[in-house]
Amino acid sequence: MEVKPKPVQRKPLEWFNLKGKRVGFWAYVVMRLSAVGLVLYLFLHLVILSQLAVGPAAWDNFVALAKSPAVLLLDVVLIIGILAHGLNGIRLTLIGFGLGVPRQKLMLWIGLILTLVFGVLSALAIFAETK
Amino acid sequence: MVEKQLTRERTSSWSWILQAFTGALLLVLLGLHMVVQHFVVEGGLRDYQQVVEYLSNPFVFLLEVMFLIIVTWHALLGVRAILFDLGLQPATERKVTAILSIVGVITIAYGIWLSATIVAQGA
Repeated sequence: MEVKPKPVQRKPLEWFNLKGKRVGFWAYVVMRLSAVGLVLYLFLHLVILSQLAVGPAAWDNFVALAKSPAVLLLDVVLIIGILAHGLNGIRLTLIGFGLGVPRQKLMLWIGLILTLVFGVLSALAIFAETK
Repeated sequence: MVEKQLTRERTSSWSWILQAFTGALLLVLLGLHMVVQHFVVEGGLRDYQQVVEYLSNPFVFLLEVMFLIIVTWHALLGVRAILFDLGLQPATERKVTAILSIVGVITIAYGIWLSATIVAQGA
């Protein structure tokens, strides 16, 4: 009789139990935390865009606020979150379809490097723009 | 028991495929959104008048609505996966799916209404 393995289920508190975990688990934690952050951001984004329905003054006030250094720093955090989540998502999708499984760890490092490279480039672009 | 397990597996596999599919679309849609809404714009953000003019272009409107639908779908599928990992009863799982579907429809409807309102303000 074939016994099917139960699907892995982890409650959110277990995301933070990193003791003795392999690097793939770190990727899982980054994926989940960035996911939560991006979902919250999506709804925040829609709330902020609602200022456009209020009128020109409301929106242009927000634009002024959005150009303050603190908000620009949050933009960099957002872009790094998107890059990490998206690039790891490509890796997980490939693995899910059975592609590149032996190279899954290499793909993880490539994703990390691309996240850092594009994160730094975005930060430079963002802060250069508003000078 | 065996039947329940099979159902669960089928459920998790369709949601996984959808998550991967919407994720792949987001590589294009979010990439385009970031470039056309922020990276090519002087100062990174359009002022009110520029937003109204820009969104009045039907192609831009369509692109943003597609992005809204796919990103909301992807986000809520992700929330669903995290909630399902709590080890919910099948009845609770069905409720979660139903509630998140409603949240998704409302979110998308609101986004489309907002976009249409912005365009109407320019008309």
